[in-house]
Amino acid sequence: MLTRRGDGKAISPQEVQMRYALLIYDKPGSHEALSEEELAAAYREYGALSDDSRCVGGAQLQPAETATTVRVDDGRMLTADGPFADTKEAVGGYYLFEAKSLDEAIELAARVPSARLGGSVEIRPVVERQR
Amino acid sequence: MKYAVLIYAKQGAVESLSDVEQERVFDEYLALTRERAVLDSEQLQPVQTATAVRVKDGRALTTDGPFADTKEVFAGFYVIEVDTQEQAIQFAARVPACRMGGSVEVRPLAAGWGA
Repeated sequence: MLTRRGDGKAISPQEVQMRYALLIYDKPGSHEALSEEELAAAYREYGALSDDSRCVGGAQLQPAETATTVRVDDGRMLTADGPFADTKEAVGGYYLFEAKSLDEAIELAARVPSARLGGSVEIRPVVERQR
Repeated sequence: MKYAVLIYAKQGAVESLSDVEQERVFDEYLALTRERAVLDSEQLQPVQTATAVRVKDGRALTTDGPFADTKEVFAGFYVIEVDTQEQAIQFAARVPACRMGGSVEVRPLAAGWGA
């Protein structure tokens, strides 16, 4: 159970924080189609989200073509170039947020530019464990 | 170099194990999180708890998961820092999902936030 917020302030017993992963699925080509200004604005929004005191993690991934998929079959490691799923479904990045409710997580997810550029943001609560 | 290790677990693979075997598998996942190379790691709650968010005309539209009936589900991830891609792949191969009918995707992080 978290007792301090991401910005260090103590949590009162009434505030229960949960951690949510926001998985970003981009529509292929959606960012490339933006003007320079629109792209700059989008990057500011991505940055604002990671600067939010509720953000406790995140990363942007290189495109799906850079992926290697790994399986182990009968003790043998098998690797394949390319992503697990076809490019339409590839995760482009993620954020981790502390939030008091799913509604709060939805509000954050709706600010991720990918969500309005034809992609989607999948919110999933994370399994809490001792850190 | 930093890599994301994305875990796609075979649906039902862990659940079909005995309690003792499940413990052992979770212990393996946990042990991996303690490796020096690991910068971040999260286990995601099941896909039934997912909410997808899209924004159309300024309005947020939400859909409750799961969104498709797939054999493998995105179950969690590690973010690791290693010297070579080979080392990233070696780490990935130790993730239990790999040998339990699932697969793990290794992808370098982009420069910029998070990296």
